Amino acid sequence: MHHELIVLTKDYYMIKSMLLIFSSYFESTMYHNSSQKKFWTFDKEEALDKLRLEANQKFLSCAKAGINESMFLDQWEEKVLLRHYEKRLLDFCNIFKPAMPKSVVGTALMYFRRFYLNNSLMQHHPRIIMLTCAYLSCKVDEFNVSCTQFVGNLQESPAAQERALEQILEYELLLIQQLNFHLVVHNPYRPLEGFLIDLKTRYPLLENPEVLRKSAEDFLNRAAMTDAGLLFSPSLIALTAVLNGAARAGLKMEAYLTECMGLKGDKETLSKMYDSMRRITSLVKAYELPKIEEVNVGKQKLERIHAELATNLKRKHGYEDDEHVVKRQMVTEEEWTDEDLDEL
Amino acid sequence: MNSPPITHAWLCVCFRCESCVDMLFVRGSGNCVQCNTPLRKSNFRVQLFEDPAIDKEVEIRKKVLKIYNKRELDFPSLKGYNDYLEQVEEIVYNLTNNLDVEKTKQMMEQYQRENRDVIQRNKAKLTREQEELEELLLLEQQDFEQRRLQTLQDEQRQLQAKRKNKQALLDELESSQLPAALLLAQHKDRASQLETQIEKQKQNVKPTNIFSTGIMMGQTVSLAPVTRVEEVLYVYQPMHFDTYGPPIPELDQLGRLGYLNHVRTASLQDQAGGYTSGLACHRAVQDAFSGLFL
Repeated sequence: MHHELIVLTKDYYMIKSMLLIFSSYFESTMYHNSSQKKFWTFDKEEALDKLRLEANQKFLSCAKAGINESMFLDQWEEKVLLRHYEKRLLDFCNIFKPAMPKSVVGTALMYFRRFYLNNSLMQHHPRIIMLTCAYLSCKVDEFNVSCTQFVGNLQESPAAQERALEQILEYELLLIQQLNFHLVVHNPYRPLEGFLIDLKTRYPLLENPEVLRKSAEDFLNRAAMTDAGLLFSPSLIALTAVLNGAARAGLKMEAYLTECMGLKGDKETLSKMYDSMRRITSLVKAYELPKIEEVNVGKQKLERIHAELATNLKRKHGYEDDEHVVKRQMVTEEEWTDEDLDEL
Repeated sequence: MNSPPITHAWLCVCFRCESCVDMLFVRGSGNCVQCNTPLRKSNFRVQLFEDPAIDKEVEIRKKVLKIYNKRELDFPSLKGYNDYLEQVEEIVYNLTNNLDVEKTKQMMEQYQRENRDVIQRNKAKLTREQEELEELLLLEQQDFEQRRLQTLQDEQRQLQAKRKNKQALLDELESSQLPAALLLAQHKDRASQLETQIEKQKQNVKPTNIFSTGIMMGQTVSLAPVTRVEEVLYVYQPMHFDTYGPPIPELDQLGRLGYLNHVRTASLQDQAGGYTSGLACHRAVQDAFSGLFL
C-alpha cells in the first residue's frame, strides 16, 4: 500500500477499508460478533454508573491508611474530572501532527472511557492514561507514528517528553490488560459513510444526502464525548446522526426506515430503534463541558491524593505488589502538568 | 576474587573460583566464607549454568532421581504416575529452597527402604537401555568406518591401475616394433576400457537384504485389500451470520444496484493492487447495517 495514497485521498475510509477488506469475509471484524458487542455494550446508563461507583469504592477500601476521608473524590467529582480529561484528549488528538484520522481519535476516546469504567481516577492519573490511550490507539488503528514523533506533540522540553514517553510505555500494558485485551473498537464513522452511500442509492426522496454530512459528523464528534459508544451499536449512532441532521434541515426520513430497511411490517423493531435513537439524542444534547471551578477543585484533590500515594509507596521501600501490573507512580518527578497541555 | 574457572559447592550456593577454593582448604577449615556451612572438598563441581541456583537444583534432581526412578509402566493408572511425579517435584523443590529439609530427607530414606527392589530393577533396566544404545552407536560407527575404508581402497586401486597402464605404454613405446601412433591408439582404447570397468563397479550396488522400513526382502506381504473406512461425505454449508440488521446486498450486486456510482472510483493504481470500489462500498454498507436492530 503506497503511503501517498493514504495521505492524498479525501475519503480515508474508502482506502482504509482496503486494509480490512478481506476480513469482512471472516466474522471477527464485524460489529455483530465483535468483542465490543459482547463485552463492552451495556443496556442502561445505570449499569455504567454502577461499575464506576464500584471502581470508586474499591479504591477507597484498599487505599492506604492515613489519608483523610474527605480527601477522596466522590463519584460526581470523578465524573467532572473524566469529562475534563476527555476534552483534553480530544484537543490533543485534534492538534496532533500528522493529522490523526477520526477513527483513531474515536478509538482513543473509547479506550479512555472503558478504562475508567473499571478503575478509579485516584488510582491511575488520567493525564498519563489519556496519552497512553492515544498511543495505543495509533498502534491498533495502524496509524504509524513513532514514539518520538508522538511525544513531540507535547508542548514540552525534550527531557520532559522523554519522561512522558517512559510513563506511557510503563502504562501501556496495564491499559491493554484493563481493556481485557479487547482492542478493536468499532466507531460510527464508517457506518455514516455507508448510510450516505445507501441514501444516495436507494432513497431518491432525498435529493442530496451530502448536505447531511457536516451536521452528522458534528453529531458523531459530540457523541464520542458521551457514553453512547458504550450503550449502542455504532451503526445506530450513525443513523441517529443522519436522522438528526435531516430533522434539523426539515427533511422527512421515515420512509427510509420503513421502505428501504424493510421495517414497514415490523412495528416492534421500528419502535425500539426510534426509542434508542431518542436516547442517543438526549445523551448527546445533555453533554456539557464541566465547569472550571469544579474542575480545579477536583484537580487539586486528585494531585494531593496521587502525591500522598506516591509518598506512601516510597515509604514502603521495596514493597512489591504482585497484583498490580503497573510500577509505582513517580508523580513527584513529573515536570509536565496539565497546564502545559493548556498551551495546546 | 580472581576470574574463571568458577566452581561452586553444592551444599551452599555461594560460589568462588578455583584458586579461592584451594586457599580455603589450605587453611584447613571446611567452612564457607559467606554462610558457615561445613564443606567437603569433594563436593565442588564446575558450574555449568550461569545461575548457581539452577546448578544446585540440577545436582539435587540428579540425586533424587537416582532414588525415585519409577516409570510410567510401573503405575496402574496415569493419575498414579502423575501423583508420583508431583511428589518428586515437591521433594526437589523443598531441597532446593531449604524447606523442611529434615522431613524431606527422612521421607526419601523411607521410600528408599520400602522400594529397594523396584529401584534396583529400574536401575538395571536403565543400564541395559544405555548399553543397547551404545551398541547401536558403535555399530553405526563401525559401518561408517568400513565404508570409508572401502572407498579409499577403491580409489587406491584405480590410481594404481592407471599408473600401471601408463607404465605399460611407456614400456611398449620403448620395446615394441609397432609404430607410435598405433601404440597410442591401443593405449587409449585400454584406458577407456578401464574407465568403463570402474563405472560399472561403482554402479554395482551391494546387494541388500532389508528394505529401509525394516521389512526383510522376500518376505511375503499380505496383498489383501485394505478395509474401507466408511465416512460421511463432507457437504459444504455456507456460513450464516446474524447481523442484527437489514439484509446487506451482495458484493457482486453492488454495481447493478447502483451503489458504485456513489463511491470514489478506483484509480488504475488501486486496481493493479486488486482493489475495486465495490470492496470499500460493501464494507461501508455492511458496517452501516450491522447491529442496527439490536
